Amino acid sequence: MSQFAVEAHQLVKKFPARPGTGDKNPSPPSPLPEGEGRRGEGKKKRWQFWKKEPKATFTAVSGVDIQIQRGEIFGLLGPNGAGKSTTIRMLCTLLEPTSGTAHVNGYDIVRQANDVRRSLGTVLAGERSIYWKLTGRENLEYFAALYHIPPAVAKKRVDELIERMELKDRANELVEKYSTGMRQRVAIAKALLARPPILLLDEPTLGLDPQAARNLRELIATLKQEGHTILLTTHYMEEADQLSDRIGIIDTGRIIALDTPEGLKRRIEQKEIIRLEVSGWQAYIGEKLLALQEVENLVAHRQAEADMWEVSMQATDSRTVLPKLMESISQNGTRLVNMNIVKPSLEDVFIHLTGKALRD
Amino acid sequence: METSLIPRSLGQPGLLSDIRAFLAVVRREWTIFTRYPSWIIALFIWPLIFPMMYILTARALSGPDESGLAVFIATTGATDYIGYIIVGTTVWMWQNIVLWDVGFALRNEQMRGTLESNWLSPTWRFSYLLGQTGPQIVSMAMFIGVTALEFGILFGVRLNGNPWMIGLMMLAAIPAIYGLGFAFASLVITVKEANTFVFLIRGMVMIFCGITFPVAILPAWMQSFAKWLPQTYLIHGMRAAAFSNAGVNELLPDLIPLLSFGGFWLIVGYFTFLWMERRARKTGAIGQY
Repeated sequence: MSQFAVEAHQLVKKFPARPGTGDKNPSPPSPLPEGEGRRGEGKKKRWQFWKKEPKATFTAVSGVDIQIQRGEIFGLLGPNGAGKSTTIRMLCTLLEPTSGTAHVNGYDIVRQANDVRRSLGTVLAGERSIYWKLTGRENLEYFAALYHIPPAVAKKRVDELIERMELKDRANELVEKYSTGMRQRVAIAKALLARPPILLLDEPTLGLDPQAARNLRELIATLKQEGHTILLTTHYMEEADQLSDRIGIIDTGRIIALDTPEGLKRRIEQKEIIRLEVSGWQAYIGEKLLALQEVENLVAHRQAEADMWEVSMQATDSRTVLPKLMESISQNGTRLVNMNIVKPSLEDVFIHLTGKALRD
Repeated sequence: METSLIPRSLGQPGLLSDIRAFLAVVRREWTIFTRYPSWIIALFIWPLIFPMMYILTARALSGPDESGLAVFIATTGATDYIGYIIVGTTVWMWQNIVLWDVGFALRNEQMRGTLESNWLSPTWRFSYLLGQTGPQIVSMAMFIGVTALEFGILFGVRLNGNPWMIGLMMLAAIPAIYGLGFAFASLVITVKEANTFVFLIRGMVMIFCGITFPVAILPAWMQSFAKWLPQTYLIHGMRAAAFSNAGVNELLPDLIPLLSFGGFWLIVGYFTFLWMERRARKTGAIGQY
């Protein structure tokens, strides 16, 4: 058995680009020396009216390397369009990589796709991944058959998961009558049906109320204790911080940092994070502050409901910066409402690495 | 890490498991079908409404003393023009419903978001399409039964042929009609919108296969084209079996091409599915809606 539950090496995924869009994420440079490109490249172009122009491509994932230990919770963090869902979709065999290799539970994702599917429990698209016109129990019985669980075992397993997910009272009601949290629990129960060694959870707490999200996080921690390896993608920094043994930060199709949450935070330990609440914020103030030598990675985010701006920046020495900061802000109707100097969080690490907030 | 802690999958792959998975798809589809009450309306109202248009037109054209029917009998050899029409319209409805139901089966799942979760399981993927066919065939058999019953009661249409021969013709048509549906379902996943193709195919069946008239009245080039459509043989054979008491020997000229087209369309349907599945893995089409 392979040492790693999931192992990806130089995974690349390119899609045909829509008309008018170019390749935003170029692939890594070719390992071939210059002049030794693919056959035909570099030759004198001949006019051939039947030959189509090469199609433009968009690179969604650009050389991802991941090694996930057995029994580990690995968090994959990244903003929308960073390539995390494409990576997950390649690992669960929905997508074929353009190049590179990956193994799940020791099986090749292209050549042994069925063995990979047998090794995985996946939550993609959450509540949309189950049938709303079936009951919770019917959904689980149906998916148990798809995962080749013998009927007697399936019946026991379905009962067990209904109990565990606290769905017993409403297991025989149509899913369309469930709340979002209940549907999400059915989707997770579906992923656990075959007791797969590896779980891929794509945004599992998205759309859940705080209580339901907390319960789900507890469940994920318990699943790890039971020996499952979990690959988790999330938008929520606190969730990744709380659950993950290691975190990979993905941006523009590449893993730009990979470490434990503490290890990632240590990278900017010497920095201080200044958080402000400002009314009447203007973009030029941000530019002015960024021009200061001690300030970097400034991110401003509008809080629509309070008509206020939340501004966060990293500073090497807040004592030197504060007077300059006050001076710059208190002009032309801009007003500082609140200010805090805090320890770096995972979100600050993310801003430090990517120059943008995760929610952007 | 303790290796003993690693969970062992409960799945047991094998032919029996794949058959159980196929039956689960059939059961799921039937359960969902019966949970939309509109199927009762579709089952009892539709069989009457569509043929009525042609029956009333035929009545109007036959004149007040129905003298025009003599011309119809001379051309078709059929004395029961209502029976003649309902065989053609029922075949047309069958193909039409298969294109909408089976043809859009995967597309509907894709839009609901459930196609991906099915695709993630280790089941033979053609089962998802094949499994949708079972309930469709049952509901279509009910539809044809209700048609015969309603027209028997309301218009006095009597089948004077061997019901087994009618059943044989319908069985022989299943591979061609559903094979076309499979190919269509796979194309719909790729192109996303395919209403135009449904209109085109059912229009071709309507014009070339003689749903309310004999193919013999068409110009020669249209008759040649009609020979390439399996529905032409199905309509001709069904009329012979239902109203002329034709036996197997008389039906062979319709059965042989019908089964040949069936083999062809099943192969085309299956390979189009494989092509779509491969293409979807490259483009991510399964998750796009």
